[in-house]
Amino acid sequence: MYDLVKFVPLLPLLGFLFLGLLGNKIKNEKIIGSIGCGTVGIAFVLLFSMFWNFIQAPPESAVIVPIYNWITIDDFNIQIAYQVDQLSLLFGMIITGVGFLIHVYSIGYMHGDRSFFRFFSYLNLFIFMMLNLVLANNFLVTFLGWEGVGLCSYLLIGFWYDKKFQGTRLTWTGDAANKAFITNRVGDYGFLIGMFLVFITFGTLEYTSVNQAASNAYMSYYGSGIMTAITIMFFLGCTGKSAQLPLAIWLPDAMAGPTSVSALIHAATMVTSGIFLIARNSVLFALAPDTMTVVLVVGIITAFTAASVGLVQNDLKKVLAYSTVSQLGFMFAALGAGAFTAGVFHVMTHAFFKGLLFLAAGAIIHGMHDEQNIKKMGGLKSYMPKTYFTFLIATFAISGIPFFSGFFSKDEILWSVYANNGILPWAILAISALFTAFYMFRLLYLVFFGKERFNCEHGKPHEAPATMTIPLIILAFLSAFGGFLGIPDVLGSWASESPNLIHNYLSPIFADANRVLHSHAGHSSHSSILELGLMLVSVLLAVFGIYKAKQYYSDPAWTSPRKLVRNYNGIYRMLLSKYKLDEFYFAVVVDTLLNFSKNFLWKIFDVKGIDGVVNGTAKGTLAFADVARKIQSGIVQNYALLMTAGIVAILCIYIFI
Amino acid sequence: MINFDMNLLTAHLSQSISVFAPEIALLVTFIVALFMDVVFKKTRNASGYTVCVGLVVTGILLCTQCGVKDNIFVSMLAVDPFALFFKFLILISSLVVCLMSFFSDELNKDDRKMGEYYSLIAGMTFGMFLLTGATNMIMIYLAIEMMSLTSYVLAGFTKEIKRASEASLKYVIYGSISSGIMVYGMSIMFGASGTMNLVELAGLISAGKVAMMPMIVASLMIIAGFGYKISAVPFHFWTPDIYEGAPVTISAFLAVASKTAGFAGFIRFAQMILTNDPFLDWKIVLAVLAVLTMCIGNLSAIWQNNAKRLMAYSAIAHAGYVLMGMVVMDEVGISSIMIYLFMYAFMTLGAFAVIMLIANKIGSEDLDDYNGIGYKMPVLGAFMVIFLFSLAGCPPTAGFVGKLYIFTALFESGSQWAWLAVIGILNSVVSFYYYAKIMRNMYLRGDANDTVERYSFSSASIALVAIITVPVVLFGIYFGPIVEWANNSVALFFN
Repeated sequence: MYDLVKFVPLLPLLGFLFLGLLGNKIKNEKIIGSIGCGTVGIAFVLLFSMFWNFIQAPPESAVIVPIYNWITIDDFNIQIAYQVDQLSLLFGMIITGVGFLIHVYSIGYMHGDRSFFRFFSYLNLFIFMMLNLVLANNFLVTFLGWEGVGLCSYLLIGFWYDKKFQGTRLTWTGDAANKAFITNRVGDYGFLIGMFLVFITFGTLEYTSVNQAASNAYMSYYGSGIMTAITIMFFLGCTGKSAQLPLAIWLPDAMAGPTSVSALIHAATMVTSGIFLIARNSVLFALAPDTMTVVLVVGIITAFTAASVGLVQNDLKKVLAYSTVSQLGFMFAALGAGAFTAGVFHVMTHAFFKGLLFLAAGAIIHGMHDEQNIKKMGGLKSYMPKTYFTFLIATFAISGIPFFSGFFSKDEILWSVYANNGILPWAILAISALFTAFYMFRLLYLVFFGKERFNCEHGKPHEAPATMTIPLIILAFLSAFGGFLGIPDVLGSWASESPNLIHNYLSPIFADANRVLHSHAGHSSHSSILELGLMLVSVLLAVFGIYKAKQYYSDPAWTSPRKLVRNYNGIYRMLLSKYKLDEFYFAVVVDTLLNFSKNFLWKIFDVKGIDGVVNGTAKGTLAFADVARKIQSGIVQNYALLMTAGIVAILCIYIFI
Repeated sequence: MINFDMNLLTAHLSQSISVFAPEIALLVTFIVALFMDVVFKKTRNASGYTVCVGLVVTGILLCTQCGVKDNIFVSMLAVDPFALFFKFLILISSLVVCLMSFFSDELNKDDRKMGEYYSLIAGMTFGMFLLTGATNMIMIYLAIEMMSLTSYVLAGFTKEIKRASEASLKYVIYGSISSGIMVYGMSIMFGASGTMNLVELAGLISAGKVAMMPMIVASLMIIAGFGYKISAVPFHFWTPDIYEGAPVTISAFLAVASKTAGFAGFIRFAQMILTNDPFLDWKIVLAVLAVLTMCIGNLSAIWQNNAKRLMAYSAIAHAGYVLMGMVVMDEVGISSIMIYLFMYAFMTLGAFAVIMLIANKIGSEDLDDYNGIGYKMPVLGAFMVIFLFSLAGCPPTAGFVGKLYIFTALFESGSQWAWLAVIGILNSVVSFYYYAKIMRNMYLRGDANDTVERYSFSSASIALVAIITVPVVLFGIYFGPIVEWANNSVALFFN
């Protein structure tokens, strides 16, 4: 049964090869679209059937399905092998499931694009790489996928490579693609170092062996320097791929790509790789309490910073991008607090509602003829009823309105942060959640309500075609009800012993990590009244945010927000310019490097040093070539002479030395 | 010792012949192909098709020999998995060269009769098969002569072209001198030991019954003979001139099949004789040859402006990398050589195939005429880039895997050869320069606008290059089976 996992990445790979090699011969968009969607859809069905089998009769341990021996040098052996367990199945289903919907959506969204086939072949390649990342049974295969998704992200951000793009020191979409790729290199460096350290420490790169070895000897590893080093290095990789501070700057500019790419790669799947990596190695992180603190702090600061920047942005996709960064911060905060399940649960619900938000944003941009500024929208509710309705559900979900999916996952994060790390981290996250509710409803009011601020020179806004709205409706359904997989005990105890299905499902994965955490921290118990109380507070904060957004933006003159901007101009400017982070990086890192390269590496080291050596060598080799040319005279007698001379020379060396 | 009982001998011969089936198939192909041209006067490539079929049949017969380990014709030839690996490799190269020849304009010009051409390829393949298994000095000599004589004719096959005839003549003279030196070495060896059989000779040497001076002189002379076949410096002088003058297909054949066979014979000789030799410090000799071959090959290639000449020096440099593997000469070393030669075969054949197709269009192999050609042939250009990256040893191509195993073998054998590996790595950096030069001319020189007129190639020729590309890419990421095959063949060779 689980052998089927071989075909899961294979299908999108075949789709990529077929579309990439023969796509330009097939002019028919329907055929290209069906192939692109079909491979991902079948992969989802395979994963789902394996998942069904899995929960009927969970195996004792992870099922390893070897594909082939990749590198064998003496004892060193790296297999290409896939690992089927709770975590990889869940991530695999999110990737192929949400991925399938976004593929279908793209048929409508990319209709008429001159590189339609190229788009779908890249998307299929992305799904292949992402599946390798999560299904791998060792670090190296994950790294392969990790680099692969980075490449696909690069290719797709710059998909419309001849299109202008506004950004700090960016003029083309290709520049944004470069920014994403180069920023990620820093993180990838961390991943590599982490991987080397794991190999030195454990002598293997297989997840099961590494985690086994670490949890068996946890007494000696706990808090050790090597564990901290390994996990910090991996976390550096995560900050790159999952856009956390200090490497978060690339994600907002990654919005230069087509919107379905933003939904798939930069919201639902690739950016959650970091959470996957930590969840996969939960034992290693549990053994490094210092790293856990770093993860928590970085997560919280990112969540807060990004949410605050989101308050004032006017580009529809930029707001959603900052929202993604902020929500990823929530997930890392959960991991840092040791609530691995909560983090993974939020990955899932976030994939639903943020995927939906981006797709709906794509439908709006599509309907508005490529307008992205929300100040130039308004009153779209009547033009795009389906888009409005689904957007509304997703907005409820992300704001944490009770019983929508985001409520359950976000609340679990807030509660576990409070339970493990106290009131201050909780408070910062709760305020970030308030911001979230505010900027999301600000978006909703500016786009769908109020007076129409657009001109109709391109024609009136129109609802998207069915290939786009059907995925929206399915995702809306999941955003609304997906949260019931993770009902907290405090709310669901009347119905069953353990109502939190996702918790039950994932518990074997995190059993070792939790054992380590509890054996050292001791389990403090809190009353359920307190938990309910905090839940109420966070819901009230969200409602307050919604109320403020309604109050501010249902007024057509925007009097109160304008007053706020006047009164707190400094803060407003700081938020609008994203805390000047881009400028900071350009001034401190990029320009320094450029100046160093130009003034030292180029003008001194290269011109004077290297060129000197090279020119010297060139003169030498020219002389050599001259001799060689004379030797290679074309006169065969000379060759014979030289050959004999060669033998005699070797002989002489032997006899006389 | 050989028993001259007639019945036993007959039984031995019939046993030998049954194991000799692939070679017999080649011989039959060789002869039948000659006649095909006369019989089917209308069909241009009748003998070419015959040879292709014959080679495929030979391949099928080879498949039946998996795991066979035997000594045939009174210890003249060994049939073992080691030889089998090389025979497969040679067979694939011969087949690819035959297929390439169908598309070559310089060969198929003016109603030239191609019967001898294809049948000589079959004959040369036969000679190479013999060399992979030769365990007797007479057999080694005969096999090398069989290869050489056929290749002299093939190199000068386009006889109306002056440089081809010149190349052929030079090749004859140079080849005769080399085989003269080699056979002289063998005669000294025979004089000192009284046997031509490598197994007996090895026994005598390790028992200390052969005098030192003749041993050293003879060994060096035989090394020189093999050095000529694999074009190791300083026995390489023929290579650039002959590769440049010969038809592209034959240059490819010499660079791949001939070199592979030369290494197969050389490894067997070295493993049986040199490793038992108490006098000659052969490892140092081979290491010095490797360094000279790599450095002179790569540094000379930098200055070449003719694609075939450049590939000739590149082939010399690659022989240097393989020689590094021979310095190690244990199981790991030999299997790394086999992996290297396997990977090398495809990328070199591919590069030569593209050079040939370009020459068909522009009638030149001059790199200056390659300017901007990548835009005129987008598909073939992309394939060429893959071959060149592979030749330079960049991952994730087959060439990287080959180099990886050679260098690993050197490092694994202890620290005394680390310096050699370092020189090898530096050399592969240098080699990147001239491979990149071809790419630079193809893409960065000349005008790159969209209105460039594209060359049209027959889809069959593009398909052939595409098929060669598949292993170059595939074995770059999926090389487990090749490594395993090489390791198993070597393990049986040593036992």
